[in-house]
Amino acid sequence: MSIGLTTAAYVVAAVLFILSLGGLSGQESAKRAVWYGIVGMALAVLATLMGPGSGLWYLSIPLIIGGGVIGYMVAQRVQMTEMPQLVAAMHSLVGLAAVFVAFIAHFEIDNVRYAQEVSGEDVKSLGAFAALIAKKSAVEINILRVELYLGLFIGAITFTGSVIAFGKLAGKVTSAAEKLPGGHALNAGAAIISLICLIWYFNTGGLLPLIIMTIMALFIGYHLIMGIGGADMPVVVSMLNSYSGWAAAAIGFSLGNDLLIVVGALVGSSGAILSYIMCKAMNRSFISVILGGFGGASGPAMEIEGEQIAIDADGVATALDEADSIVIVPGYGMAVAQAQASISELTRRLRAKGKEVRFAIHPVAGRLPGHMNVLLAEAKVPYDIVMEMDEINDDFPDTDVCIIVGSNDIVNPAAQEDPNSPIAGMPVLEVWKAKQVFVSKRGQGTGYSGIENPLFFKENTRMFYGDAKQSVDMLLQKIS
Amino acid sequence: MTIIGTPKETAKDENRVAMTPQSVKELQKLGYDCIIQSGAGAAARFSDADYKEAGATVVKTAKDLWDKADVVAKVRPPSATESKKMRDGQTVISFVYPTDNEKLMKSAAEAGSTLIAMDMVPRISRAQKMDALSSMANIAGYRAVVEASNNFGRFFTGQITAAGKVPPAKIMVVGAGVAGLAAIGAAQSMGAIVRAFDVRPEVAEQIESMGAEFLFLDFDDNQDGAGTGGYAAPSSPEFREKQLELFREQAPDVDIVITTALIPGRDAPKLWLKDMVEAMKPGSVVVDLAAERGGNCDLTVKDEKIETENGVTIIGYTDFPSRMATQSSTLYATNIRHMMSDLTPEKDGVIVHDMEDDVIRGATVAHKKEITFPPPKPKIAAIAAAKPKEPEKTPEELAAEEAAAFKKATKQQVGLLLAGGLLVLGVGTVAPASFMQHFIVFVLAVFVGFQVIWNVSHSLHTPLMAVTNAISSIIILGALMQIGSGSFLVILLAALSVFMASLNIFGGFLVTRRMLAMFQKS
Repeated sequence: MSIGLTTAAYVVAAVLFILSLGGLSGQESAKRAVWYGIVGMALAVLATLMGPGSGLWYLSIPLIIGGGVIGYMVAQRVQMTEMPQLVAAMHSLVGLAAVFVAFIAHFEIDNVRYAQEVSGEDVKSLGAFAALIAKKSAVEINILRVELYLGLFIGAITFTGSVIAFGKLAGKVTSAAEKLPGGHALNAGAAIISLICLIWYFNTGGLLPLIIMTIMALFIGYHLIMGIGGADMPVVVSMLNSYSGWAAAAIGFSLGNDLLIVVGALVGSSGAILSYIMCKAMNRSFISVILGGFGGASGPAMEIEGEQIAIDADGVATALDEADSIVIVPGYGMAVAQAQASISELTRRLRAKGKEVRFAIHPVAGRLPGHMNVLLAEAKVPYDIVMEMDEINDDFPDTDVCIIVGSNDIVNPAAQEDPNSPIAGMPVLEVWKAKQVFVSKRGQGTGYSGIENPLFFKENTRMFYGDAKQSVDMLLQKIS
Repeated sequence: MTIIGTPKETAKDENRVAMTPQSVKELQKLGYDCIIQSGAGAAARFSDADYKEAGATVVKTAKDLWDKADVVAKVRPPSATESKKMRDGQTVISFVYPTDNEKLMKSAAEAGSTLIAMDMVPRISRAQKMDALSSMANIAGYRAVVEASNNFGRFFTGQITAAGKVPPAKIMVVGAGVAGLAAIGAAQSMGAIVRAFDVRPEVAEQIESMGAEFLFLDFDDNQDGAGTGGYAAPSSPEFREKQLELFREQAPDVDIVITTALIPGRDAPKLWLKDMVEAMKPGSVVVDLAAERGGNCDLTVKDEKIETENGVTIIGYTDFPSRMATQSSTLYATNIRHMMSDLTPEKDGVIVHDMEDDVIRGATVAHKKEITFPPPKPKIAAIAAAKPKEPEKTPEELAAEEAAAFKKATKQQVGLLLAGGLLVLGVGTVAPASFMQHFIVFVLAVFVGFQVIWNVSHSLHTPLMAVTNAISSIIILGALMQIGSGSFLVILLAALSVFMASLNIFGGFLVTRRMLAMFQKS
């Protein structure tokens, strides 16, 4: 295949990728859109395989198939509650691949220089990329080094960062925010060393600065994410998603491959927008999330009056029986307890009785953007009764019963009522405006942020203590 | 063991009783022994046998009861004879109306007994369960509608029958407190058209939630009529004039008027004047729930039903709750029981009279030989005051705001474009042409990315991440392009990259497909 044809295939693939992302604007069009992505990817890979310069088919094709089989098995087996971990794990693979590709590019540059200057060997034998390098001027080679360096740096951060995020999400690493002594000074130091290495590498083109920088970047990725708590993972995962895109774009620059650049830029901006949406939903700046921890309270927290009043399944069942409109607010606790199937069954039964049942999803509910939607979809809750925060917030005053399953901070009225609260100003679901609120919760503890939730003390709130799944199952016995 | 007792009410026509067989059971759970005077519940249809079965002891005379009981719970304020029976250390719970019954408080203080006034329970959320005024007002509101209907010659609900069309009754409720709201609810459910008026604008929502129409008084200096403790405050003469004008307009149109306007510690305001009654159609009914305090209607006669010359019936009964003695006794006894449970925090039959507690402090009018009325102001307001509304914006202001916002957005966008353009120019001056070619592609792709991603539905963010993950494995191209190179190290690294990236591609797309297939419409 000629270069012209390959480029044409890339153009088509790029268009298909854009369509594939654009199609995600609606549930139905998304089902079609994912095929655009698959075709685009197949086209791109095929064009590259058949394009100039690549060889070793006997090696690449079995590897693609092997990777494909494992990917297929993972995709089939993964539980929907494990999606955050899976996404993080995948990011780490992209990051690592970016690191490898960057190193390859470095070796190629060296090989070409060696061939040109020392052995006089024909660079064509070294492959397509080598041929490209051979034509470059000294300035271009320097730019190439910067690009390569950037790709390597971002890729390495993505790799360790994603591994840690995976560990935190899978519960293998403590989800608390932990920092080494020295805190952000360590990160800053590592970044400065990386910068020095860049200048070093720029001037010499040696392998050593590259390796030192890689180690530094790996450390930054590890330490940065270790310092971020579990509930901030939606931002972290989106951020890593963004990074993996930028890494691909940087590699695309160094390889002179436009498709890589386009896709990298698409993914990078997608992740950036997701991070922005998540931060906005928590009313925190991106920097403050990444640096970890909540901003200090600006004054004493408002005193909470009243007491937490418990209720049993009978009471909740009676209230549900009498209610006409019901809103369920799921949170990470639902995912932990695997209660989505029971909740779906409860929803089905209540709807069969002619009651209006809806779900209210806060943008940062769960550990991944859109996590709750996927869990509910898996449990066969129809998506048209699953509402976003802005769609449903005005309806709470007309709601008879609101059930909160395993969420805390996203329904905390202190965000609106107490200007001294650390989460003041964060947009929250105004559940307390409903006539009755039931909170399914394991115990009396505070949420991730450690902030007391005045909702639990309100007149119209009853605490339904216990494991979310068992609690809902108990309700199912009372409601036929 | 502490004994709680209830005597037979001595007031004429008082059918209620402060203890029911049900409340006897609950009081025993709090650790009390219950005694009751024989026949105390008879008028409310609770027999002595019922009480005995519930575990109470029946005593013959009132004297016996007052001697034995450590706590006496009753409905009406203790009469002069009863107040002589009070003794040191005894707790007496009843309605007291302290502003009218100074003598009673004095004798309680002299005797050393603690007097708790059920009508002084502060109107805060926590105390609602013992707010006897509300539970009685609720009954009064309902009963007012029943009495009105009893004296009204037509259906409440509109009907079209074979024998002709019946128009629905139009009912106006003045004062939307507990009684007013109960009346609205009862009248509404009988099918009448209900309108309601109140000086407190924040109750409009409550009125409308009961299904009635709120008569809005357009008053410039819209004063907030809300006073303390959920009651209305007296209004200014101008406001009153406007209000009467509104009523005058309504008078010829409405069939039934139920007035419930009361201001604490004052005579009831006169709101339904003689000329309004005269303007009403014959057969109309006025029920005045404020008759006890002189009535809202000019012509009301306390405790009586009268008919005016133009055929309007005016009902001035003051014993609406007593007319439904079984219901009101049940609710009142429950209020008493809640009061007792607040007084016995340990549920061991030992009264802990905590004068620090807002509710108990507010209700206690005599304690330890002292009169403790009036209580200090409670810390919490009953209804949050309505926030002053923002002034409505004029169209010009709105247009100006819009223009300003547009200008700001334009400025921001132009600024960003300029900065971006300069940046690109800056890069262009130093970078070679080959770099700039790719750079254009990059910038455009970022731009397209931003445009496209904003439209992605929030519920599809997880699939979005999975799919971007899959396509960011496009990095496989970089590995594939170089795998043909001669060096072993390069081949090894490239092979690993190809493997990982393809795992990601397949895994990412397939899991996205799996997720999307799950999203189903109902």
